[in-house]
Amino acid sequence: MITIENLTVSFGAVQALRDVTMQVETGKITAVLGANGAGKTTLLRTISGLKEPVQGSILLDGRPLVRERPENIARMGVGHVPEGRGVIGEFTVEENLRLGAMITKAPLNEGLDEQYRQFPVLGERRKQHAAKLSGGERQMLAMARALIARPTVLLLDEPSLGLAPIVTAQLMHTIHDLCSSRNLTVILVEQNASSALRIADHAVVLHLGTVVANDAASTVAADEKLRQYYLGMVE
Amino acid sequence: MVVNSSQRRMSITAMAVVLSAIASFSFGSSTRVAVALSAFLTLLATGAAIFTTPGLRSSHPVVVRAALTITTVDVVLFATYFFPANTNTNLATGAAMSIVLLGLSFLTGASGQISLGNGAFMGVGAFAMAIWANHHATSPIVVGLLVAIVSGALVGLLLGLPATRLRGPYLAGMTLAFAVAFAAILSSFNSWTGGDSGLQLPTAATPPHWLLGFFDSGTSLLTTNSMWLADIAIVVTGVAFFFMANLFASRTGRAMRLIRDNDVAAELVGVSLPRGRVVAFVVSSAYAALGGALSTLIDNAVSPSTYSFALSITILSLIVIGGIGTIPGALIGGIVYAYSNSVITWITNQTGLNPQGNLASQLNGIIFGGLLIVTMLFAPLGISGTARHLWRTRRRRTPR
Amino acid sequence: MDPFLTSRIMTDLLGGLTNGVVYGLVALSLVLVWRSTGILNFAQGAMPMVATYLGMGLLSYNLSYWPCVAVAIVAGFTIGGITERVLVRGLYGKPEINPIVVMVGFLIVLEAVAAAVWSTKPRGLPSPFSAIDWQIGGKPFGLSDFSVFEILTAIGVMAVIAALFRFTKLGLQLRASAIAPEVSRLLGVRVGRMLTLGWMLSTAVGTITTILVASNYFTGLTPQVMDGVFAFGFIAAAVGGLDSPVGSIVAGVSIGIILQFVGDYLNSNDIILTALLILVVSLMVRPNGLFTRSSARRV
Ligand SMILES: Nc1ncnc2c1ncn2[C@@H]1O[C@H](COP(=O)(O)OP(=O)(O)OP(=O)(O)O)[C@@H](O)[C@H]1O
Ligand SMILES: [Mg+2]
Repeated sequence: MITIENLTVSFGAVQALRDVTMQVETGKITAVLGANGAGKTTLLRTISGLKEPVQGSILLDGRPLVRERPENIARMGVGHVPEGRGVIGEFTVEENLRLGAMITKAPLNEGLDEQYRQFPVLGERRKQHAAKLSGGERQMLAMARALIARPTVLLLDEPSLGLAPIVTAQLMHTIHDLCSSRNLTVILVEQNASSALRIADHAVVLHLGTVVANDAASTVAADEKLRQYYLGMVE
Repeated sequence: MVVNSSQRRMSITAMAVVLSAIASFSFGSSTRVAVALSAFLTLLATGAAIFTTPGLRSSHPVVVRAALTITTVDVVLFATYFFPANTNTNLATGAAMSIVLLGLSFLTGASGQISLGNGAFMGVGAFAMAIWANHHATSPIVVGLLVAIVSGALVGLLLGLPATRLRGPYLAGMTLAFAVAFAAILSSFNSWTGGDSGLQLPTAATPPHWLLGFFDSGTSLLTTNSMWLADIAIVVTGVAFFFMANLFASRTGRAMRLIRDNDVAAELVGVSLPRGRVVAFVVSSAYAALGGALSTLIDNAVSPSTYSFALSITILSLIVIGGIGTIPGALIGGIVYAYSNSVITWITNQTGLNPQGNLASQLNGIIFGGLLIVTMLFAPLGISGTARHLWRTRRRRTPR
Repeated sequence: MDPFLTSRIMTDLLGGLTNGVVYGLVALSLVLVWRSTGILNFAQGAMPMVATYLGMGLLSYNLSYWPCVAVAIVAGFTIGGITERVLVRGLYGKPEINPIVVMVGFLIVLEAVAAAVWSTKPRGLPSPFSAIDWQIGGKPFGLSDFSVFEILTAIGVMAVIAALFRFTKLGLQLRASAIAPEVSRLLGVRVGRMLTLGWMLSTAVGTITTILVASNYFTGLTPQVMDGVFAFGFIAAAVGGLDSPVGSIVAGVSIGIILQFVGDYLNSNDIILTALLILVVSLMVRPNGLFTRSSARRV
């Protein structure tokens, strides 16, 4: 479980997050929604230690994460697929995965096989440079690279960005499966609110750095006001 | 009748000039001294008046800069008459170096790049001056200085053209290679450069007769010559600083600072990056060459061993300590240079080091290298930049 | 015997190769630091010089040759690591002239301190192998035991570095930290340690190079022993591409051979002039280096 309390993060004069308090249940998918600049990416980056908050605390199963180095947070089992995926284009697919597997004690081959089973395209292209992959394939590689480290928490920053609707649907399905089969805790940041809400258990809506809604996903999805004002879901 | 403040100032100035002229004629021992004294005071008063006129600074900055330059040069020239020979020699050496530093400061300030070879560019100017003087013994000093400037600019263009196209350390590395190669370059042209022993000037620069008239007939040649050399160096330095101050403030100068601060923004407003960087590098090489030419004049000779890689490093240290990218930083660096040897001798004496020992002979490197590191890590703006920074933050804090 | 083997051309070729591998090693050590931290280390000659004094200085305490070499290499690792931690750490992300100035300052301080402690008098290093040219049919052939040792050592060092980067977990992390530090940290790579390690490796490679230079050239070990070699090494790295280990080694060897011919057929003064000319021309023609694929404009 991740407990975030009174978290405030700023870039100079700009407060990207203001007094954010929320909880993320173990083994559940929590969607974090909001318009551009709402502070979603900043929230994930603060959790994984890339950004230091001005105040507030983040606890992972009781252990404080604030002021911990990102590499240690990763080693505590927090996987982060960053905005834009962060695939290393100069590396081959397999090298990217090997890098991801660095921090597990599990045998490399097992991990690779597992990921290639989950994402068969990656297996076919294992010797290719990641720069040559399509957007969807890169997203799979980024996910696989995070998963091969066997994290307990997975932070996903706009995984659907730039993907075709059908690919997005498949991806959401995969995320949902992973979560239930491995008891993964997922924080899913999405612009695409409807697909995220479809698989999420819980949803948090951010607006200009503050939490404007924090409820069961179905409740948020049903709230006409939220849909209109913050999620831009006018049908 | 309404008298505005600038009219009042003008009349005060005029009065001051007349009074000072009268004063000098009555106190002066001869007409010659009186004329000189009143010329000095007139320039001083005019400069001061222009400089203090409110509003002129923003409406006619060039005039104000000219006034500031003329006044300063005027005061220093006047002072050289009273200085002992070694002070004047230090002054001349420091002035020549400050020109070199000014060029390097501009390069970094304008393009964010650095040269590790300005000692060699200084050498280009120094040898150009000496070679020219040996072939045209009667040509005026100014022509020699111009030849040096052009030579420096040309060599700068040759090396700068490829390296300034690239960001990163290429220019630094290329200029380092040039500085290391300079001795070999000189010796491959040894029929021109005089090989290891270098060149002597055919005639020493001696003061003109009207200037000698100010001195008692018993005054030593050393005194009069060192004053004359200091005067030349000061006037040239004044001109060099005046041009550079305008260049810093000009459209080109601002465009160049844009290049340094933000490539993309500069490209968006249509500044040609490579051309800007090449120009900055050529200007810096030309300034270095001018400083070198003055050094030849001051030493009355030029020797290849002076323009070693070590000199390039000294130049770098001086401008970093003075304040890289600033104009006053160049002056501070020049002064530090003029007195660095005395200071190091002083340190050697104070600490009781054996002056012939290993440590004493390496003190220069340890101190200058150490200052380079410490300045860059803890006060990267150098003396002048840090002082300006402190001054500004203090002004902002104190309520008006 | 084939007279070509003992001809002037062959002799120059082999002599050039021997010098060239040294330039290639210096270039390689520059590339190691440049790729991992984006800094051109102007003290790349001076840091190993100090390590060499520290290690080889033990010869006068009756330690034998190879243990001294080992100590020197360990000293190289240590100096590289400490330098990165203490001096360089604060310079990442600063304007590009800051690291240049600091490393030049460090070069000056190290050379001055070395001269103060060990004096500028050259120290001959004993060579473990004979430096006398082999004879073929009574004529000198351009190689000696020592130059073969030199070439083999260089190849060995290059192979070890290449294998480390290509085939090991550590190498993967080193490369990842250089290309994408933030992503690497998210994957649990200790990027800070990798940067330190890059500097350590680079200085150790430099130390091996310095020992070769100080024993082979008739100069012996002096505080400024690496100045000239550094200049050639930089030229090789710039010509081959500061981003390209293979390119810089190839450029180093080529430059070594070209300069040997220049020195033999023209004049020793023309060596550095030619090197400068090679640099100017190659930057004009291929600004990013002859072997670099990506742009060298890392901003
Ligand atoms: N590196 C930065 N420097 C300055 N301000 C930043 C930086 N990163 C983010 N911000 C500011 O913080 C606020 C939140 O940004 P953030 O990237 O977290 O938004 P987001 O919700 O992820 O938006 P998007 O949906 O567009 O990705 C914005 O106002 C942004 O301008
Ligand atoms: Mg975002």
